[in-house]
Amino acid sequence: MTDCGCDQARRDLEEYLRHEVCKTQHSDIAEHLDNCAECRDEALVAQTLTDVVARACKEAAPEELRDVVLARIREVQATH
Amino acid sequence: MFATLDRAVIGTQEAWDAPGLDWRVMNDQAPAATDARTQFEEQALPFMDQLYAAAMRMTRNPADAADLVQETFVKAFASWKTFTQGTNLKAWLYRILTNAYINTYRKKQREPYQGTIDELEDWQLGGAESTTATSSRSAEAEAIDRMPASVVKDALQSIPEDFRLAVYLADVEGFAYQEIAEIMKTPIGTVMSRLHRGRRMLRELLADYAKERGIDTAPTKERGGKTAASRSPK
Repeated sequence: MTDCGCDQARRDLEEYLRHEVCKTQHSDIAEHLDNCAECRDEALVAQTLTDVVARACKEAAPEELRDVVLARIREVQATH
Repeated sequence: MFATLDRAVIGTQEAWDAPGLDWRVMNDQAPAATDARTQFEEQALPFMDQLYAAAMRMTRNPADAADLVQETFVKAFASWKTFTQGTNLKAWLYRILTNAYINTYRKKQREPYQGTIDELEDWQLGGAESTTATSSRSAEAEAIDRMPASVVKDALQSIPEDFRLAVYLADVEGFAYQEIAEIMKTPIGTVMSRLHRGRRMLRELLADYAKERGIDTAPTKERGGKTAASRSPK
């Protein structure tokens, strides 16, 4: 493991946080984050943005939609 | 710090578990057909809340979102025999939803032309990096964390559609890049660029909102400098 430095860490931070493949070894980014408070904060902002978006977008489908969908599916089945 | 964050993410995803479903109805239809329907209802319908939430972000209103979800389930059921058991059902449903949206609803809406948005240079889109470079990022994270859901949804709504969809699929649904590429029918590189740019725009919009409200994301407490200053003897 070698610290990849700020530039590479910033460039591939999103991919690292999402466990996606990127040009920098994940372990090198991890090591850099251990060493660099600035990049750690940048990662915190990125992760917070994801959490907040996920939280804000929760919706429950209206109850009647379930009934409508069930009825439509039965209709489709009847015509096949 | 990261371990805590990861747990928080998992926590929000778990809340999505659909309630138990029991829509089996005894009837005298052919057993095979009934089995297919029962199987579909048991497996696909628990995704209704998630599909509805996505449809809300796509169509921007409850009536169209409900119609879109309906259409999605009807289409999904009609081609249920093409779904391979054991593969990713959620991604399969999202492909149908996205297709249905693009083919019907998007045409109805007067979206500004966005054909070349992927080709815009970074400087034309602005960068959150530059506005926050001198700010305290932990203060920014805190401000984002406190944003009301309505503000976050408005911000998401105001970024170009393809960017919004990429952000939604990645951040809300947790799809991998490859899955998003398949859902949006674009190369992975395009997914990454839309996601990065969409998130940067979102971050900038939220930073602007915080600034307008006087929420402090302003340059404060330079690391190290703070302690020295606050410790200055009287």
